[in-house]
Amino acid sequence: MNAVAILLHVAALLALPPLLLGVIQRTKALWAGRKGPRLLQVYSDLRRLLRKRPVYSQVTTGIFRIAPIVLLASTLVSGAFAPLLGGWAPVSFPYDFVVVAYLWGLGRLFLVLAALDTGSAFEGMGASREATYAAVAEPALFLALGTLAAATGHGALADLVGLGLRGPAEAVVSLACLAAVFVFMQVEAARVPVDDPSTHLELTMIHEVMILDHAGPDLAAIQYASAMKLTICAAFIAALVNPLPGGGLASAAANVVLTLVVAAAVGCVESLVARLRLRAVPQYVLSAVVAALVALLTTSWWQGGGR
Amino acid sequence: MLLIGVAVLVLLAGAALALVLRDNPQRGWASLATQGVATVLVLAETLPLALRGGELRYRVAWSYPVESIAVHLDALGAFFLTWSLPLTLLGTVYAFGYLRPYFQTRNAGVQFALLNVISLSFVMIYTVESAFAFLIGWEIAAVAAWLLVVWDYRNQKIRFAGFNYLVSTHIGLFFLLAAFMVMHSQTGSMDFQSFGAFLHVPGRLRSITLVLLVTSFGLKSAFFPFHTWLPRAHSAAPAHVSALMSGVIHKAGLFGLLRFTLLLAEPEAWMGWYLLGLSALSALVGVLYTTTQRDLKRLLGYSSTENVGIAGMAIGLGYLGLCWRQPALVALGFTGGLLHLFNHAIFKCLLFYAAGAIYRATHTVDLERLGGLARRMPWTAALFLVGGLAISAMPPLNGFVSELLIYAGLLHQAVPPGLERALLVTAAALLAFIGGVSALATARAFGLAFLGTPRDAGVHCEGEVSRWMRGPMVLHAAGAALFGLVPGLGLAFVAQPARLFRAMLPGADASLAPAELLAPVAWTGLALLVTVAALVAVRRALAGGAPAPRHVTWGCGYGAPTARMQYTGTSFSLQLAEVFQAIVPLLRRDRLPRGPFPSGAGHVNTHSVDAVERRMFEGMGEGDGLVRRLASRIPPDPGFAFGAGLAVLVLVMWLLVAGAGGAR
Repeated sequence: MNAVAILLHVAALLALPPLLLGVIQRTKALWAGRKGPRLLQVYSDLRRLLRKRPVYSQVTTGIFRIAPIVLLASTLVSGAFAPLLGGWAPVSFPYDFVVVAYLWGLGRLFLVLAALDTGSAFEGMGASREATYAAVAEPALFLALGTLAAATGHGALADLVGLGLRGPAEAVVSLACLAAVFVFMQVEAARVPVDDPSTHLELTMIHEVMILDHAGPDLAAIQYASAMKLTICAAFIAALVNPLPGGGLASAAANVVLTLVVAAAVGCVESLVARLRLRAVPQYVLSAVVAALVALLTTSWWQGGGR
Repeated sequence: MLLIGVAVLVLLAGAALALVLRDNPQRGWASLATQGVATVLVLAETLPLALRGGELRYRVAWSYPVESIAVHLDALGAFFLTWSLPLTLLGTVYAFGYLRPYFQTRNAGVQFALLNVISLSFVMIYTVESAFAFLIGWEIAAVAAWLLVVWDYRNQKIRFAGFNYLVSTHIGLFFLLAAFMVMHSQTGSMDFQSFGAFLHVPGRLRSITLVLLVTSFGLKSAFFPFHTWLPRAHSAAPAHVSALMSGVIHKAGLFGLLRFTLLLAEPEAWMGWYLLGLSALSALVGVLYTTTQRDLKRLLGYSSTENVGIAGMAIGLGYLGLCWRQPALVALGFTGGLLHLFNHAIFKCLLFYAAGAIYRATHTVDLERLGGLARRMPWTAALFLVGGLAISAMPPLNGFVSELLIYAGLLHQAVPPGLERALLVTAAALLAFIGGVSALATARAFGLAFLGTPRDAGVHCEGEVSRWMRGPMVLHAAGAALFGLVPGLGLAFVAQPARLFRAMLPGADASLAPAELLAPVAWTGLALLVTVAALVAVRRALAGGAPAPRHVTWGCGYGAPTARMQYTGTSFSLQLAEVFQAIVPLLRRDRLPRGPFPSGAGHVNTHSVDAVERRMFEGMGEGDGLVRRLASRIPPDPGFAFGAGLAVLVLVMWLLVAGAGGAR
């Protein structure tokens, strides 16, 4: 069972990300009344990028070349801790979510450095935005996960999701944390209303403008890693509301389906909500902090009452 | 204990030799050799204590009025000595390279002698248990640091920075003196052990003493709002002095705090919250200032305030654990705090050394004028990157290990549910924010100095620095990597001093919670490295051996980009600074071109200032204006308001007098 579960987990970690992007694109296309690309289009896009030969700027150093690799590697390692198939992960130890958050921070830092490495004003702009919004979003994530740790009595990322919707207090905590993680996901994976991955004006981009100079396999690695982060966040949200207990095949299947539903929800938000002005992004992230604070205070009120 | 006595004499002899020998290389060698010998002697004594525990007590008879000096070396003092002396030795090696250009024109003997004296002051502070000798060691360290800072004393700005430091550190000394006087008046002794008898008993006087001590030690370690001297002193001093001050010398403040913590039998809850709050504020304000600095060494100075704040948060958590009788929290708090201040010494010295290397090569540390140094100084760039990653607590480097312990403590299940839990989870979220901002500051500093293209044609880079300067940096970077990849090593190093704090809880089990926590982290770091290596191999295979074509940076269609068009440091941090405008004020002076045909060039000048220092100087410099403004509010005919104010004043005075009477 265990070996099979690990294999399934690795398969999900590697195969799901492009599919999720496909679901988001298809959802957006449906809302816009278009037919849209195939669900599996992103796989072909990535394969095409892998065959291309990148061009490097004369200004860049080794940082620029290693950055996509560090980003992908750190995201891959972080995937081992994530409850992709319900309340279970291959590697799990107390407070491993701190490791996950800092691994993502490592990848992001290298991407920001790669942007500064090109000496381009546009990429510097994107780097500045990415670093700023990431710093502002970090407390929301930690508040949400810290609250779940307090509420469940566990410290590992995969065990944080067992709260479910049993009682009113649990439901409030779960849903408020879900909202906080959802906003964090939008910031981290550069989705509307924080950032628009399909925009065509460099001045308004965040993530995309940072990787203007990347091409070929480097770009594929960055896009794949970004999609993987989206998958991990979406799977965590799915596990939060997954009605089936963790461990079994049914639970794993339910979690994958719910993950795709979360992706569809991301697509719906992108179709229905306009992109925020850049200056309003910190306020939007603040709403996630507030949601997490609500969850935290609910938890402390609910647990403190039992004393 | 004999070996330490010999080490003191060797250090003194080295200082004397450095002053009297004929030429600068000889003076440097004298200092290096004596420090090396002294380090070996001291380590022979302290290493067993730091790694296996135990203690040494000794009493030195002295003439009146000191009479006798109690020498007490326990695991805590041994831990501090074990890394302070070798790091000072490395700093001296670096100084040998850093000061070399001055060897023909200046007498560098004073610097080398003072470095010996700094080592000597460590031996005093970390071993003596008599208030008198402790204060003398404290003062030796302060004055020696001041003299080291004003190496370039011909520059008025540097003299001012030195004087600012001297005054600040003595204000701290007054608080320490006041605390010692209180304790002396209550116990009639100058020994820390007798102070312990007074500090065991909760009471108002004990609380006041603790606040005095925290203020004094906070000033030494540059906690907010006592940090104003620090950025000036660090940007003025030679690089090795900045490094040693930030990484090693000012840890004496935290040592003092920990030493007196051991004497408190059981702290009260407010002490823990006070320490935690003050430290969290320090960390937050410190890290926000690191994002806006132009001067690389000022930036690193502010990051000291941040990092002592993080260590202080851990110590505050340990206090709370003692108060709630939770051994897990005590272990995680004090282990995390001790490990973090040791880790900080490793990566902060490395960063200051790299900043010094930049200064040696380009004669500036102004980030807005640098750029593209990675190609001219590959060693320094790689080493700075390691230090920057470590200071942002990125895995798999050492900063991450200690911060993980602190997170684990803040989020631990042993915290009482309710408000306490909520506050500590918020503190963890704050720590996450600090980590994110610190990553931004690192990216900004490294990106501006080493990446892109040179921003100012007037800055000329002389290329990589000498081996004397690179050697210590390489060792520090290796330390950062080693203690990050093998977390058990750092844990073993702090296990004994942390055990002293665990022992303050009666009946606590001896098992170490941090060890279990850190075991998987080593595997994570290794997995990361292996994955990176595997992906590099895949990337190589995909490239198929063909060299990648090169072209200019994509300028979004603009054909004539210049180096001045790169993103600047100010613009990089502007968005964050705007959110925190109240804490990080940005002064802006500009004359912008106006109209469709502007005549003459415009200019924009931005300057990030320290809000605390600015307000303080405003208050002092314009005090008369302040009083006048307040006075003008008094109505010409006071009448009822005056009478009411007088009544309140009398009431307050009465309360104060009655309260003071009640204390007796």
